[in-house]
Amino acid sequence: MATLFWLQTGACGGESLAILSAQSPSIEQLFATHGVELLWHPSLSSASMREHDRLIEAIGAGERTLDILCVEGSIVTAPRGTGLYDSYRGRARMEIVRELAQRAGVVVAMGTCAAFGGVHAAAPNPSDCIGLQFDRDLPSGLLPAEWRSRRGWPVVNLAGCPAHPHTMTQTLAWLAAGMPLPLDELNRPLAFFNTVVHQGCTRNEYHEYDIEDTEFGGKACLFFNLGCQGPMTQAVCNSDLWNGVNSKTRAGVPCFGCTSPDFPREVDLFSTEKIGDIPVRLPMGVERARYMAYKNLARAAAPARVEGKDMDV
Amino acid sequence: MARVELNVNLNRVEGDLELALSLEDGVVVEARTVGTLYRGFEQILVGRSPRDALVLTPRVCGICGTAHLYTAVLALEHAWRVPVPANATRIRNVCLIAEGIQNDLRQTFLFFAPDFRNARYRDRPWFAAAEAEFAPFSGRVHRETLAITRRVVEVVAHFGGQWPHSSYMVPGGVTSPADARRLLACRTIFAEVREWYERIVIGAPLDEWLALDSAAGYFEWLERPAHAASALGLVSRCARDLGLQRMAAGTPHMISFGAWCDPANWDAPHSARLMPGGFYDGDTGCIAELDQALINEHVRHSWFRPYSGGRHPWQGETIPDYQPGSDRYTWAKAPRYADKVVQTGPLAELLIGGDALIADLYATEGGNAWLRQFARVRRIAYELVQAERHLHELAEHLGEPHIVNPAKNAEIDGEGYGLIMAARGALGHWLRIRDGVIEKYQIVTPTAWNASPRDSAGLPGHWEQSLVGLSVADPDDPVEIGHVIRSHDPCLVCTVHMLETGKRWRFLP
Repeated sequence: MATLFWLQTGACGGESLAILSAQSPSIEQLFATHGVELLWHPSLSSASMREHDRLIEAIGAGERTLDILCVEGSIVTAPRGTGLYDSYRGRARMEIVRELAQRAGVVVAMGTCAAFGGVHAAAPNPSDCIGLQFDRDLPSGLLPAEWRSRRGWPVVNLAGCPAHPHTMTQTLAWLAAGMPLPLDELNRPLAFFNTVVHQGCTRNEYHEYDIEDTEFGGKACLFFNLGCQGPMTQAVCNSDLWNGVNSKTRAGVPCFGCTSPDFPREVDLFSTEKIGDIPVRLPMGVERARYMAYKNLARAAAPARVEGKDMDV
Repeated sequence: MARVELNVNLNRVEGDLELALSLEDGVVVEARTVGTLYRGFEQILVGRSPRDALVLTPRVCGICGTAHLYTAVLALEHAWRVPVPANATRIRNVCLIAEGIQNDLRQTFLFFAPDFRNARYRDRPWFAAAEAEFAPFSGRVHRETLAITRRVVEVVAHFGGQWPHSSYMVPGGVTSPADARRLLACRTIFAEVREWYERIVIGAPLDEWLALDSAAGYFEWLERPAHAASALGLVSRCARDLGLQRMAAGTPHMISFGAWCDPANWDAPHSARLMPGGFYDGDTGCIAELDQALINEHVRHSWFRPYSGGRHPWQGETIPDYQPGSDRYTWAKAPRYADKVVQTGPLAELLIGGDALIADLYATEGGNAWLRQFARVRRIAYELVQAERHLHELAEHLGEPHIVNPAKNAEIDGEGYGLIMAARGALGHWLRIRDGVIEKYQIVTPTAWNASPRDSAGLPGHWEQSLVGLSVADPDDPVEIGHVIRSHDPCLVCTVHMLETGKRWRFLP
């Protein structure tokens, strides 16, 4: 059995709530059949806080083995690096994280806040938030870049705001089984971050033929005008649907790029920055000149049903 | 007399909570509520594009993001004087209801009820039943609550793409329409929830349950095997055996913003509600029409730059002024209505909204911890009825617009507010736009009302009042405090102003 301790730092509780929606495995299956033993979760444990304190002491003293430490939320370092804007019994929570991390087999950042700082680290960053091993895309989080857990891992970043339910439960089940888990350059497991949100989006055909919505509530692609980051954002949202049924982009909501270190971007989130008619940020890996030529051709080739937005996405 | 200073932390409260209590001979004589986290959402919003509030404010809270989204979009629509088509309101209401049911079930059976398994209650006649039903991951009701709440938030995903944290409500409507596929999927989900609610939670048909209109009638139900064996029946038996019906009245004044915007009545500021809101004056027992201008916030005991008296959110400011060691002890502001301490939540919503059973129970026993929890479960019945009605109306009006995008020149500078009954009670956003960007954003959450500190007149907030008089048998495991505070469905992550103090005497000289 792999023991798991879940700690909330500067959080909204989004990951704790999102993981309850996981289906394969569900959180209860994680404990019943995937070899995970829950030591503590702040919303789900019914033991008293005295038990919580004892567990932290026992882990710190090496009397209790901690295999997986999950951290949900930004690391709050204000005021002046003390971390006391987020404390527990007078102790900065970032110190508790640091202590438990030294004992953990592997540390998992649940969500973009824990991975990169997230929404709380948006300008002006009133509580001086950072991530566990990153500050945005810089390797200057709570733990140094060269830090490794007891099992030799950097912090595993399950980015997302919130993290995708299956990205969380499937990674935890995989780690509990002791399987290898290749990571990308942002320490996100490749298995869950090797696809872009644009892939699998039902509005993809509209993008293909350059049919773009200019206002909300329509059926076409949201990339050119409405701020959608789907073609640049790595996540499983459209290949493993949320709550088993849908994704933001399918529902006409732009992808805000919430698995990226720069989420939330400082620009207007519902509009697309452009040079002339072409977005500043193009789909991942696309060359600007070729993209423009292709778009002109595609538009001319669009079938009437797509041009007229006659068919449901 | 033994005077003890006690700092209590609570889990299962959605966020982090510390309470600083003074006990004399085991009885709470003074309480201060202290949040443990400062994030500064309102500062993050300043200078951003107004629509960004639709992305950022849902992230104030992982459990009620739809409520924040709804409140934010109403504030924008109010500022821009944007009308909304009926179908958009119907879809918004259906999603808010799904999120509300999720919250009410999880709060009751995952957060509140597990306290009845406390080892101290081992000898109570209902202990074995509480263990069998409410034990995390092994109790029947606990497991089934996980399954049914996972199902009900699919409704939000059908319209919003995902739950939690989406931004599908935009000024003028919602981003995707109702169609036959979505409506049938949602109807199926609500039918499942209704069946489970009737069979497991109340042990009776919904109509009979809603027709129940007297305290005497309910106490008779509690003797009936079907209800006594139901999840709510068990909660009531445990709670009443422990005396929670005599515990934690708190302030008698209540506030509700009114539940569910009226789809047929769409002139901004969208004040028409399907279940009326208002202010319940606990001194007179009268309900007055709500006037948001009477809402103000005090900072006398909070670590913000001081000002005298209370200020309306549009005049308010959030300028940190960290002064440990003074008589200021928290970063929570103290919201007041007409300078009165008020409570909010399902009890306020149903009492002000006119539910006869809740009104009679309140008249019989007054406000108390059991009744607050009971009202939360009862509200689900109203939510189910409204959801079914809204889905039916959407089917009848299929093809009508789900959005009318505002003209560019409608996106003007100005002020607006949104008021919503979130799962935990009255939620308000106040916004000012200048030069096309957010100049001010103030959020007053339900937990801010309930968990408020003392105000400039020295009046303690609702929780602080609720805790006074409570006997605490074991300071190391203060389960009584758990009952009282959890009956309010606290959400500390939502109380956005809050900043941790540590032990309150920690910084004293």
